[in-house]
Amino acid sequence: MAMVCSTVSFLVLPPHFSGRPSCNVACSSSCCSVASSSHAYCPASRNIVSILTSSHQQRHHHPLTSDALDKRDLRTKAGLWDSIRSGLLKTSPTSVTEPERKEDEFDLVEGEVVLVEKVQTDGTVEKIVFASGAEVDVYELELLCDKVGWPRRPPSKVAAALRNSYMVASLHLYRQPPSADGDIPALEKRELIGMARATSDHAFNATIWDVLVDPLYQGQGLGKALVEQMVRALLRRDIGNITLFADAQVVDFYKGLGFEADPEGIKGMFWYPRY
Amino acid sequence: MTLTNMLISHSNLGFCSDFSRPLLLPLLLPPPPPAGSSFQPFVSRLTSIVGSTGILQNDRKLRQTCQVMAAAPSYSEAAGVTESGMFSQSDDDLNSRGFEIHMSRDDINLDKLNSLFVMVGFPRREKGKLLRALEHTVSLLWIHEKKSGSIIGFARATGDSIFNAIIWDVVVDPSYQGLGLGKVMMERLIADLVKRGISNIALYAEPNVVGFYQPLGFISDPDGIRAMAYSRRRR
Repeated sequence: MAMVCSTVSFLVLPPHFSGRPSCNVACSSSCCSVASSSHAYCPASRNIVSILTSSHQQRHHHPLTSDALDKRDLRTKAGLWDSIRSGLLKTSPTSVTEPERKEDEFDLVEGEVVLVEKVQTDGTVEKIVFASGAEVDVYELELLCDKVGWPRRPPSKVAAALRNSYMVASLHLYRQPPSADGDIPALEKRELIGMARATSDHAFNATIWDVLVDPLYQGQGLGKALVEQMVRALLRRDIGNITLFADAQVVDFYKGLGFEADPEGIKGMFWYPRY
Repeated sequence: MTLTNMLISHSNLGFCSDFSRPLLLPLLLPPPPPAGSSFQPFVSRLTSIVGSTGILQNDRKLRQTCQVMAAAPSYSEAAGVTESGMFSQSDDDLNSRGFEIHMSRDDINLDKLNSLFVMVGFPRREKGKLLRALEHTVSLLWIHEKKSGSIIGFARATGDSIFNAIIWDVVVDPSYQGLGLGKVMMERLIADLVKRGISNIALYAEPNVVGFYQPLGFISDPDGIRAMAYSRRRR
């Protein structure tokens, strides 16, 4: 199993200028730990099933019990169990770096991409799911920002900024313990472990901001997957110009994802109030 | 309204440097308005204000100051954006030279806008997409040239309306470049964004215009931050 381990910190956004009261996103270099010690996620598990793509618009699979479906709908639009039921699950373990490219079948509309799936030895199923349209709870986001050392911003402002964003991409960790009772699946827990958002004019340009991944889950290629899936989603919506501002230490990270620094000599410039 | 209140609210106006009424005024009075700016004095209001405070009505300097201040076109229009707190060229200045500033997308003619884009070497944009882009633009500005009826200047900003804004498509018709119209637009656009509480204003500048943005308060690659764009070629 090859996990992508990379040293990255996820700052996309502009600087925390000294004296500015509301900093948008601070340099997250403090949050970046090369994760060799923080593989909380990998070692104890077995049976990494596969990475599936699934579309929330797919309705023609066999549903589980209606109870289970109701609970799912509350939290996720993905149909992992549905996919399993319709026999799309591979049985051999595969590596966790690139989502499978069943694009035509499942990426018909924006949905969710299951990036990682594991079944723990005790039967707990864990999934890390990318979504471009899932709801991000501002308080969960605040906790996440705390974890990477970014300053807090007023929740009402954050909520408004998310609402005004063209796309809010998220990584959620779903944990479903084995059911105590054979028939009824246990309640699935969901935790926000990564986020990125883009502002746009909905036609020509988009700018990516605030890319972050929970330090506990860094070093596994999740940041790359987050940004890559987001770029794909933007391209699908025909946004021709996808831009961002990268802190010096993450320029290489974004280069690896297809971004070019100072394209054609173009410089990023920021306004500072002088008066 | 007392003289003090008036001074406070028009604090970006005229200042008489040898004015010797220390109590109320000095701290509040900024540099004189730039030469050439026009105003319409509200003399009657002025008289009643001066009268009500009891300050020596005979002091000519005071009257001048008050006249200038009473005629303020708007309150702190460019506070924090320009040194004087006023725009480098006022709307009236521009009007008298045949240029009308618009900051609403109402009445914008997409064909004329496209003509302007083409003139500066931008691609002509598909109108449906262009309209959609303008509908999702947080702040924009266009300059209508009265004689020709053309749009000779344009600039817009997108963002989340809370934290960040990016300025795009800053263009001036080549025939009207060199008149300070780019600066005219930028001052107003930034002032508008600042007024909305947006503190993080950024843009992507081609190498030949970095020098245009610097005197306007823009710094490139602060703290080593780099502009990046997705390139399909590289993937």
